[in-house]
Amino acid sequence: MATARSTQMPASEAVRGRMRRQREEELLVWPDLVFVEFICAVVFTIMLVILSVLVNAVLLDQANPAVTPNPSKAPWYFLNLQELLLHMHPALAGVVVPTIALIALGAIPYFDNDHEGQGEWLSTPRAWPNVIVGAVVGVFGTLALIFFDASRHVDFYEWMLNGPHRVPTLPDGAPDPTYIHWPEALNWLRSLRSLQTQVAWPAWSTNVPFSEFIPAQLIGITDFEVHLNLPAILVEQIIPTTTMVGLPLLLSLVAAKVGLAKTRRDHMILQFSGFIATYVILTIIGTYFRGQGLVLTPYTIFSIE
Amino acid sequence: MAVTERPERHSLGDRLYDAIFSNRVWRSIFRSGYPNTPRNQMLAVATNVFLHLHPTRIHRTHVKITHTFCLGGLSFFLFLGLTISGVLLMFYYVPSVDRAYTDVLALQTDVRFGQLMRNMHRWMAHGMVLTVLMHMMRVFYTGAYKPPREFNWVVGVVLLVLTLLLSFTGYLLPWDQLAIWAITVGTNMVGSAPILGEPNRFVLVGGFQVGQNALIRFYTLHVIGLPLMAAIFMTVHFWRIRRDGGLAKPL
Ligand code: HEM
Repeated sequence: MATARSTQMPASEAVRGRMRRQREEELLVWPDLVFVEFICAVVFTIMLVILSVLVNAVLLDQANPAVTPNPSKAPWYFLNLQELLLHMHPALAGVVVPTIALIALGAIPYFDNDHEGQGEWLSTPRAWPNVIVGAVVGVFGTLALIFFDASRHVDFYEWMLNGPHRVPTLPDGAPDPTYIHWPEALNWLRSLRSLQTQVAWPAWSTNVPFSEFIPAQLIGITDFEVHLNLPAILVEQIIPTTTMVGLPLLLSLVAAKVGLAKTRRDHMILQFSGFIATYVILTIIGTYFRGQGLVLTPYTIFSIE
Repeated sequence: MAVTERPERHSLGDRLYDAIFSNRVWRSIFRSGYPNTPRNQMLAVATNVFLHLHPTRIHRTHVKITHTFCLGGLSFFLFLGLTISGVLLMFYYVPSVDRAYTDVLALQTDVRFGQLMRNMHRWMAHGMVLTVLMHMMRVFYTGAYKPPREFNWVVGVVLLVLTLLLSFTGYLLPWDQLAIWAITVGTNMVGSAPILGEPNRFVLVGGFQVGQNALIRFYTLHVIGLPLMAAIFMTVHFWRIRRDGGLAKPL
């Protein structure tokens, strides 16, 4: 009886006072919310109708499985994954990364579970610095990696040493002996892939009979035969994975060291902002800067004939 | 002056007000006049089948546009708009490789408002992907995923995936060069997964390459399977917002 009474009518004046203050902080859904929603819906309907009158949805030629357009692109919201595909093993880019990203996204509240900064825009101390640092590192880190993989540092080096407008060939097409090239000793640093192609890997390392170490016949599998190409694994899987795990970790470590990120919420903001920035940059590069053969091209507005 | 005891009305506006809110048809639908007292306004929200998704009262900061930017509501609005325009498109569209493309062409040229309908559906689909992503960012940056709302965040992630899949399956339906090759690129990504990838791709596409089987599978998922799932998860999402005590507020 006593408990029933206390839930219905709080005994202390302090509790009643708090409830009254809470009430005063509240508005009625009708009209304050319902009208805002209604106006929002009307405005957006009008904007959508105007957009749809002005801009038609694309319709190209009828589907033809025999004619592959160049470039072939996924819908824009998957172009970030398609961009990743160019730099690593397809299974990693197309399946492992998105799966882990989604699981990590879903797990955020289970790691960051105190009430700090709840219900208000970026209200914790250091929130904004973490957003900015995360976003800047995400944008420029991603760009740097993409440029490296497209050998843009090589172009830049040759451009710096030869001056602009120089080409490595003479007018008659023969190579120009005075043209300064990227040092041969550093050829393995031309791009990620050149680590595989420009290094004299011993013959055994490209053909490791992995299946011989696994006694698969013991469990009745006889046709198990796998040969590993270690340089390819290094370039397509080990280095990309290390980069994608290592760089965010490094960022958090540095941020913790210099006092930028102290709480879990700080680290979450830092990482989430970095993730969003990376996602956006990959999408933009995949959409506008990948031309024929998905080569990195300046400002290619995506169009297929 | 109590709101219910108004003096006699004479102006045109007053007569209009009475004509709209006091006639028999209005009363038969809404049972009462315009809800102009706090009590009636709360009743209007609580007893209306559509409005009762809302609580009757709401914290004042949550009404500010800059708190939510209406992004969750816009995602839902676009979902409803997509459902309506999608049903209209279904009237004209047959998911067969022989007809799909010409049906879309005919829709654009022969059907009154057909092009407009298709454009609306397309732009709303792109828009919904954007609003859902931005809604997720707003929830993150307002720290609204914290307990007790952890699970609703997870429901949200499922909704994000469903939204992307809805858009992706719709991409194939016009059956033009853009559609078939985008889906080929996309499904090949699935196929690259170790061990389970190729079987999964085969099930999704219904064969070795994107053809009639893929079209009918994507169509079925697009018009019934995924929207149904999305509707169910949205129901849970909205229900949980209410159960978790409305939107997150500072402690
Ligand atoms: C189809 C997709 C979605 C729809 C229709 C939807 C709808 C809504 C609506 C109407 C609200 C009320 C507040 C607002 O408008 O911001 C809301 C809140 C919320 N949504 Fe979503 N949402 C969707 C996707 C997501 C996603 C992708 C996430 C996160 C990953 C998410 C997490 C949340 C959370 C945690 C809340 C509570 C926010 C608070 O308490 O302030 N939702 N959602």
